[in-house]
Amino acid sequence: MAMRKVAVVGAGMTKFMRRAQETGRELAFQASRMALDSCEMTLDDIDAVALGTAPDAFDGLHMKGEYLSDGAGAWHKPYMRCYVGGGTGVFAAIQGWYHVASGLFDTCLVVCEEKMSSCQPHPQGAFITIFDHTTERALKPNLVWIFALEMNRYMTVHGIEKKDIARVAVKNKRNALDHPCAQLAADITVEDVLNSEVLAWPVQRLDISPTSDGAVAIVMAAEHVAKRITDKPAWVRGVGWSLDTAYWTSRDLYYPKYVEYAARMAYDMAGITEPRKEIHVVEPYDPFDYKELHHLEGLLLADKGDAARLTAEGVTARDGNMPVCPSGGMLGVGNPIAAAGLMKVSEIFWQLRGEAGKRQVPGQPQTGLAQSWGDLMQVGCVVILGV
Amino acid sequence: MSLVERITSFADAKVWYGNLPIESLYTVGIAGEKFFRAIKDRGVIMGSVCPSCNLTYLPPMMYCERCFAELEEWVEVGTKGTVYTYTVVGVSLGGAPLEQPEILALIKIEGAHGGLVHRLGEVKPEETEIGMPVEAVLKPKKDREGSILDIKHFKPA
Repeated sequence: MAMRKVAVVGAGMTKFMRRAQETGRELAFQASRMALDSCEMTLDDIDAVALGTAPDAFDGLHMKGEYLSDGAGAWHKPYMRCYVGGGTGVFAAIQGWYHVASGLFDTCLVVCEEKMSSCQPHPQGAFITIFDHTTERALKPNLVWIFALEMNRYMTVHGIEKKDIARVAVKNKRNALDHPCAQLAADITVEDVLNSEVLAWPVQRLDISPTSDGAVAIVMAAEHVAKRITDKPAWVRGVGWSLDTAYWTSRDLYYPKYVEYAARMAYDMAGITEPRKEIHVVEPYDPFDYKELHHLEGLLLADKGDAARLTAEGVTARDGNMPVCPSGGMLGVGNPIAAAGLMKVSEIFWQLRGEAGKRQVPGQPQTGLAQSWGDLMQVGCVVILGV
Repeated sequence: MSLVERITSFADAKVWYGNLPIESLYTVGIAGEKFFRAIKDRGVIMGSVCPSCNLTYLPPMMYCERCFAELEEWVEVGTKGTVYTYTVVGVSLGGAPLEQPEILALIKIEGAHGGLVHRLGEVKPEETEIGMPVEAVLKPKKDREGSILDIKHFKPA
């Protein structure tokens, strides 16, 4: 396959917050404009636009892709919206990558937006319809209790205690104290997590990311353009994505095989044979604290059942051997679904360029990985960047 | 079952109703806030101006979709316009005949890019014409709540 080299050359994000005054398209504009400004580009320099955004029901707007198009800078440009549930944010970057890698476009603006505050009384009201309407919906499923089933299985198979998982929430919310766009940064303790309200055992209030409004954008460019734009391009070294069966009830819930498949695809493309040595900074998808651990294992960055120990020993701390969610993750920065995934790609971009400010991990990382997870708990999306 | 034998009535099959149990809570946004405040408080219709693209957006936007400038300049576009196109709606959303057919029109205002979709009032369907000059009829100030329905309708000018 003859594919061109593609780099991320710019990024921008709005503050993540409970409720934004801006409309969704205004949020999309703010992030897009920041991303363009960050690399001194204008809309004229953009050949195509890739948009990611989660269910239309959140914003209360059908054809949300069309609604957001002008704010995403898509006026008179080739434009396409992708949607793979929670996986959307990282997938949008993959979409941007193949637009450019294919040779079809030299530049692509990738924009992700979510305005979940529109969805009342709670976005769970929309999520209820992602489940099977015949066999599951009558039981009023919501994502909290579905993930509680997965978390319990994960904890039980490996004999992991709740307090060992709570450390992830503590780490990420503390990391977020250094993020100017964070919604839920906090200096909390493991006890605070264990004492927080039980939503659906073993999931408690502080185990979960919030609902948020926000937008993120990145600019991707082909090699010859990227080198003109910046002397610090963050090259896309590998991408991968994979979808497991639609019957979530038939999967091994303790281990995200689909994440492993996505990771292997990305590692192969990047020529990475020893990910634990070659990946220097990681932004796995962490809407729940156990998911960070679950995903580190799926990414082959920890042995099965061993990610909690790495966390306890500080390996995944910002100054640890393998910093994980130095941004503060979705637990700390917030979770405007698609935008949160692209925030992870942006964080890797900033970390590799040494531009993460107080969040900067030490040691001048050369390679980083962002991952998202979504659809009915069955899609894994991975992007590996390198400088 | 072949197509001709298919079930055509709910009563013949096990079916049930469900819904998406949500309501949407919308914000007017940064540009919308200015636009609707001007209508509510001052009874004027405003557009936002992109000087470099020479466009006055109506409804106003906080940014220019063409050059991505953040728009700072706002102007009153007046309350008069012309009917660009119209239709006479005879049935409700559910398909039932309306007792009083409604005239819906796209109204263009001179100098503004875009236009407003609104009802026409104080005019009969058979008197309505494309190109007809119209003007906005606002609700009394005390009844205005910062909504597009603060404009009651457009009437022949």
